[in-house]
Amino acid sequence: MSQVNTGSGVSRRNFVKGAGAATAAGLGVAALPRAARGAEADGKPNYGMLIDVRRCIGCQACSVACKAEFDVPLGATRSWVEYIEKGEYPNIGRSFLPRLCNQCNHPACVRVCPTGATWKRAEDGIVVVDPDICIGCKYCVHACPYDARFINPVTGSADKCDFCLHRVSQGLEPACVETCIGRARVFGDLNDPDSEISRQIASNPVTVLRQGQGTEPNVYYIAADHSDEHDVAHRGRYVDVTTHRREEARR
Amino acid sequence: MTNRRDFLKLGAASATLALAGGGTLTAAKELPHKGGKDFSPKTGKERAAVPTACWQCVTRCPAIGYVEGGRLVKIGGQPSSIRTEGKMCAKGQGGVNQVYDPDRILYPMKRVGARGEGKWKRITWDQALAEVAGRLKKLRDDGHPEKFMFHYGRMKASSSKLIKSVFLGTYGTKTVGNHTSICEGGKWTAQELTWGKHYDNWDFDNARYVVNFGSNCLEAHTNHTPVAHRLARALVERNLRMVTFDVRLSNTAAKSNEWVPIKSGTDGAVALAMCNVIMSEDLYRGDGEAFMTFCRFTKDPTATLDEKVAVLKAHLSSYTPEWAEKISGVDADKIREVAREFATTKPACVISYRGAVAHYNGNDTERAIQMLAAITGNVDNPGGRCRAVGAKWKYPKGPKNKPKAKKLKILDGFKGDAALPTHHMSHRVLKMIKDGKAGRPEVYMWYCYAPVYANGEVQENIDVLKDESMIPFSVCVNPFYDESAALADLILPDATYLERWDWEDMVSPRQIGEYYVRQPVVKPLGEARDFGDVCCELAERMGMPLGFKTKEEFVRKSCEMTPGIKEAGGFEYMKEHGVWHDPKAKPKFYSYKKKVSAKKLEADGVILDEATGVYWNWHKSKAKSEEEASQKGYTHTKNAYKGYVAQMIGDEVVAGFKPDKVNKSGYMELYSAIMEDKGFAPLPTYVSIPEHEAMKPGELILTTYKVAVQIHSRSQNCKWLTEIYHSNPGWINPATAAARGISDGDAIKVKSPVAEIETRARVTPAVVPGVIAISHHCGHWEYGRYASAKKAPLGTDDDPELKRKWWKDNGVHPNWLIANAPDPINGQLRFMDTVVSVTRV
Repeated sequence: MSQVNTGSGVSRRNFVKGAGAATAAGLGVAALPRAARGAEADGKPNYGMLIDVRRCIGCQACSVACKAEFDVPLGATRSWVEYIEKGEYPNIGRSFLPRLCNQCNHPACVRVCPTGATWKRAEDGIVVVDPDICIGCKYCVHACPYDARFINPVTGSADKCDFCLHRVSQGLEPACVETCIGRARVFGDLNDPDSEISRQIASNPVTVLRQGQGTEPNVYYIAADHSDEHDVAHRGRYVDVTTHRREEARR
Repeated sequence: MTNRRDFLKLGAASATLALAGGGTLTAAKELPHKGGKDFSPKTGKERAAVPTACWQCVTRCPAIGYVEGGRLVKIGGQPSSIRTEGKMCAKGQGGVNQVYDPDRILYPMKRVGARGEGKWKRITWDQALAEVAGRLKKLRDDGHPEKFMFHYGRMKASSSKLIKSVFLGTYGTKTVGNHTSICEGGKWTAQELTWGKHYDNWDFDNARYVVNFGSNCLEAHTNHTPVAHRLARALVERNLRMVTFDVRLSNTAAKSNEWVPIKSGTDGAVALAMCNVIMSEDLYRGDGEAFMTFCRFTKDPTATLDEKVAVLKAHLSSYTPEWAEKISGVDADKIREVAREFATTKPACVISYRGAVAHYNGNDTERAIQMLAAITGNVDNPGGRCRAVGAKWKYPKGPKNKPKAKKLKILDGFKGDAALPTHHMSHRVLKMIKDGKAGRPEVYMWYCYAPVYANGEVQENIDVLKDESMIPFSVCVNPFYDESAALADLILPDATYLERWDWEDMVSPRQIGEYYVRQPVVKPLGEARDFGDVCCELAERMGMPLGFKTKEEFVRKSCEMTPGIKEAGGFEYMKEHGVWHDPKAKPKFYSYKKKVSAKKLEADGVILDEATGVYWNWHKSKAKSEEEASQKGYTHTKNAYKGYVAQMIGDEVVAGFKPDKVNKSGYMELYSAIMEDKGFAPLPTYVSIPEHEAMKPGELILTTYKVAVQIHSRSQNCKWLTEIYHSNPGWINPATAAARGISDGDAIKVKSPVAEIETRARVTPAVVPGVIAISHHCGHWEYGRYASAKKAPLGTDDDPELKRKWWKDNGVHPNWLIANAPDPINGQLRFMDTVVSVTRV
């Protein structure tokens, strides 16, 4: 089984555990009330992200922040921004759709994993992968309705966004949130009705991607363009989606 | 091996433990928004954070480099910066790749084959500097220091002071080229003619309405992130309304409330028509009227308000919205609507950039835009178009007795090229060298500059640089093997910006100066050396020591000399904190209104110029005596502007709009006596573009642009950026494409009077008909494997990512097609005027 390069002798597997510890530790401080959402809260956080597309300028700062944070190999993307160009001249617009793992409440990837290498953490709702257990079978890569997973060519393991667990466990925001030029991203605890993310979700019309999949994503959007390019094109209207990643078609 | 059960158990155990011990994670709402820290996802250990400054684009944002195991792994924003507020764009973050580019030049290299053949040998620094110092010393000792031409692309702040002011000044050459004319030099000249010093800051923190002519500031701008993050927030948080005129739906246009498509090169017509609406409907009343006191609209600067209004109304009377509609394709009603909204929403900010100014008529387009700001009172006010405020560093000036520097007259183009090239004509330099009549440099050295790639007429640039009879010896200072380095005789491996020292000073959108430093995040790789340090050594070798041995020492001394920094803790403070601003400073607005004390007017040499009302110190000009100064007057004495003190307006003497580079009065001059002297219209006027007037049926106008993830010419080696953007097909409107039988994705040929290239068509309604839009950045044929798929000489193969590079298309470069033609007033390269034919291959 492949293993992440461990300069200091701490494996990724141990680290995931360590992070879990720190996460749990924070609960002592938080004493969170249970929110309407989040099935088994028990005072535990359920982390989510809200992306206010009105504020997104399509600058890709998040995409590159993620590349650097994890030294993501070329060809793979944990975080990316799609451009959706739609309309007829001169009534043409372009909107941006930042993408990442949705950390679903019912993750399709977890269901298909034959080894138990991926699971949704009870502590905070983040879906993680243990590269020591993963056998690189790609079931999860294909099962994810959002194309958020890939096989990391360095580790041979399935890989994806984990909300920067290593940063969040240190009290920092995910790298994409910190760098976001338009402050389009709000990260926080969906179980806490007083959190910024909960307050914003409560006071804005929000959507999730591919709701029909029943995955219950924890990444919410304000003003996202959900156009399916094929549907739009069928109606004879111009639509062009650029994924800005190796996978030119989007899921 | 641990199984999942153990893993979870362990997880639970450590969770309990940590609960007892107290962890760091708080509720999400308490997550700090400050940043400035990072941890390794592999080890969980904190990464070392080194405050520094970006250099990817000219914005030069304060930054933090994160180091893990001695390697720079990540660059983030500086949370203490009042400019960026901790934000860092994609380009800046991609800077990590600059350091570890496997095609980077790490050793001095000397050409061994024919020039441009690509054969090199590694030499020592001692050999390299012995050769350079030997040649330079001989030129100087023979009395011809001007035959050493130094040409930089970007050189700012401490690098500029050390290399240009101190090193080149002490050596004695003024044959020093820049690159501003291929950028936005024309905009600067227009600003110098109107409000004095160049650069406009846009106060998006306070503006309520923005009209944008050809700026793509959400993707690329000379103050990109500081401006973009403010604009992005204002659009949502404060309901800022924004209208963008552009030939292409840039991301900035897409985020505006409205994109108004406009024909290329006609922004000036729309701006003048907006002025017409504002004046004819008396919408200037109020703030505009009040500001007009400080404006010159007439030959007589002391004209009354009524006279000014009458002159303006008369001048603008023919520039009706209907007239502008015919020229620009923008509906007259739309022009009226935007003009009215702009004039009646306070404060409002008019912004502009290369889309509007890189044209034959760019000078007056920018002057018309200045007029739009002036007649609505949106100048230097909160929420308006403001004059730039940056840090004011003190620094060691080097040896006191500098020689009188000499120069070759090859920096400002040919006679008749342009009337007022205040930022020179770098795109004409190689043509001037080819011509030879004004002399040729014997040593041509370039630094942070890509003469082949960044100018137009690429083939001619190659031909001249290759020709040893025109340029006997050439030196390229560069960390990378680009298209120009490939044509040098000697390459000096420069440190990347992440390996060097600087103090920095870029404009602050807060109107409060920000002081910051760039410090090495890692040691230079291989034998790379900061060129500032190299200059110190070259000076020693030529027997002209500069008074400091390294750039670090220069920066250290500057910190000890600069008020504010010194008190805050000097160099050590800046090393630790990276940025400083005066906490007591107030944003600088309306400084033109400031009254000037009688004491200043009574100083030695200060005289009043009756014709303009300018108080000026003739000692600072080229006048030899007070009599000569009085007789010639302020306007006609060379360098009189250097002695500008104040402007008399009515009974008051105010700071006014201080001139730079030209002898403008202290009024905001919309009427320019300087333009009039040069034979141009004194008031902003619309002139059509000759090539566009002469277009044959079927021809298109080529327009170029930048995208959010690349710098103009120096970032395509950054794998994270080029992975996102590497291919740049030409954008063509569906109607335009259909008329030529072109479908989306078709191979096309684009032919201009100077060259032709092949690319693919991207058929999209996001561009106006009659135009083909091709971005910059792409189409490299050198610059290493990530940029061009071509390995640099002495490039290494140990980067495992090279085999993961998955894109094959490296795009095309539009500059092959663009003539190095100047704006007749300011000399700006007319980047957006090229007429092309486009055919399916």
